[in-house]
Amino acid sequence: MARFITIGERIHCISPAIREAMEKRDPGPILQRAKEQLDAGATYLDVNIGPAESNGEELMKWVVTLLQENFDNVPLCLDTANKKAIEAGISVYNRAKGKPIVNSADAGDRIDNIDLAAANDAICLALCSKHGISKDNDERMAYCQEMLERGMGLGMDPADLWFDPLFLVIKGMQDKQMEVLEFIKMCSDMGLNTTGGLSNISNGMPKHIRPIMDSAMVAMAMMCGLTSAIVNPCDRRLMETIKSCEIIRGDTLYADSYLEV
Amino acid sequence: MPFVSKPRKFNASINETVLGVGDKAVTLGGLNTLPLHFFDAPAKNPPAVGIEITDVDADLSAFPELAAFYEGAKTPAERAKKAAAAEGAQFVCLRFEGADPGGLNRSAAECAAIAKEVAEAIDLPLVISGCKNVEKDAEIFAACAEATSGKNVLFLSAREENYKTVGASTALAYGQKVGAESAVDINLAKQLNVVMTQLGIAPGSIVMNVGSAAAGYGFEYVASTLDRVKAAALEQNDNMLQMPIMTPVSAETWGVKESIMPEQDMPEWGSQEERAVAMETVTASACLASGSDAVILRHPKSVKTIAAMIAALL
Repeated sequence: MARFITIGERIHCISPAIREAMEKRDPGPILQRAKEQLDAGATYLDVNIGPAESNGEELMKWVVTLLQENFDNVPLCLDTANKKAIEAGISVYNRAKGKPIVNSADAGDRIDNIDLAAANDAICLALCSKHGISKDNDERMAYCQEMLERGMGLGMDPADLWFDPLFLVIKGMQDKQMEVLEFIKMCSDMGLNTTGGLSNISNGMPKHIRPIMDSAMVAMAMMCGLTSAIVNPCDRRLMETIKSCEIIRGDTLYADSYLEV
Repeated sequence: MPFVSKPRKFNASINETVLGVGDKAVTLGGLNTLPLHFFDAPAKNPPAVGIEITDVDADLSAFPELAAFYEGAKTPAERAKKAAAAEGAQFVCLRFEGADPGGLNRSAAECAAIAKEVAEAIDLPLVISGCKNVEKDAEIFAACAEATSGKNVLFLSAREENYKTVGASTALAYGQKVGAESAVDINLAKQLNVVMTQLGIAPGSIVMNVGSAAAGYGFEYVASTLDRVKAAALEQNDNMLQMPIMTPVSAETWGVKESIMPEQDMPEWGSQEERAVAMETVTASACLASGSDAVILRHPKSVKTIAAMIAALL
């Protein structure tokens, strides 16, 4: 079985330090966050440059080149609503360590990001929603099928569509949690890859609770067959849980030092 | 319908580790297919065959062909020269049987002098193996690593109990190669590679000895261990198990009853020497089929046979 893929979420323009570094083209803070996440065990790094309407193309090229040059062609997840910026990023992207990921398409207005991924031989995160949150798994599955057909129609390998059930916040949507997990199981039974922004579930919870809740969720989701997650790799409890689950699933061979590799 | 071959290649590959120096240096590993599946991709480096000698002048009277092969060779260096000339031999393994504290108890300094003479007598890569006593092995490996500095020698092996001393005194201090020995225990095999890497030894300087058994003596555990290690290395791209594997076959097969029972005691079994060669050859071919990147054999006839088998499969 393939290894679980963690996508580090901490290069995000919502962080003031990163936003400022992106505006000023200051490599320092971006490289530091990249290093922290890679040292903590992230496989991919998400690069969120925000909507970046005016200078997105140039900015994305700059960040992609910066990160890949400094970290041995680290594979990246290109995260922006600006399609031209994603394409610009891919144009300078080195695939030695893995295909680029387009973050993201959905079954609504952003469905053409699948076309973009197909045209560029990229992986595409596919949110199983159209207008807001799907009401149940029938609806999620309908969107999943729609996006799968579109991607395959364009010649994509189904393994390059990573379906996101949309993890929902527990405070407010506690009754939906098992449904999300069941959807992951449905995708897994179909042989599809899955991912998602896991930490959304613990939004609004006290800081010391979040790693506990996130770890429990990732363990249950991995039991259902989750193949990847967008996470904060610097959350040690979470990463230890993922590595332990990988051992239990047989994704990786046990050794006493498994937490250190 | 015509047959369409679908090569099974992996995106991961076994590390390449070079032993020895100069024209005769041997590269182990590099494969990205299942063992011996040369039809899936050309072998970058075919599995290597080594020939074993010991530091003691053993009584070979039970093995006339072996005795004839080494006739006149009194010192380890002289035996090494003859061994290096054996057809199919790509490296020589010097085993310090005489260092055993329960036996001759040769000192580290004596061993170092022998290792130096042997290394200078041959141009094939040299592998040095110990006497299986963890403390003594650590001592002799340190002395031999210094004495053979610059020859890119492989030391078999560091174990859980002495990996720090052995790793530091061979690979770190003299840039030699070091084996990581685990006795048919996949988790320990990985663990040793992790801790030796954490010690600062480059993954490319580590060769695994994941243990062996003579065919018929619990070999299925060896086969499943080799299978599991290769599966982790190639299918799961586990870089803590991508070190090439060297299996000291002779150390197992020459001690089982098929190899030690004299013909006069068991006439219906036939020639003792033929039996010993058969045990060694059969076990070596099974190891190679399961994933060994190199095997160590004692009899020149076994060396020739296994080298020919590999060549025929290429």
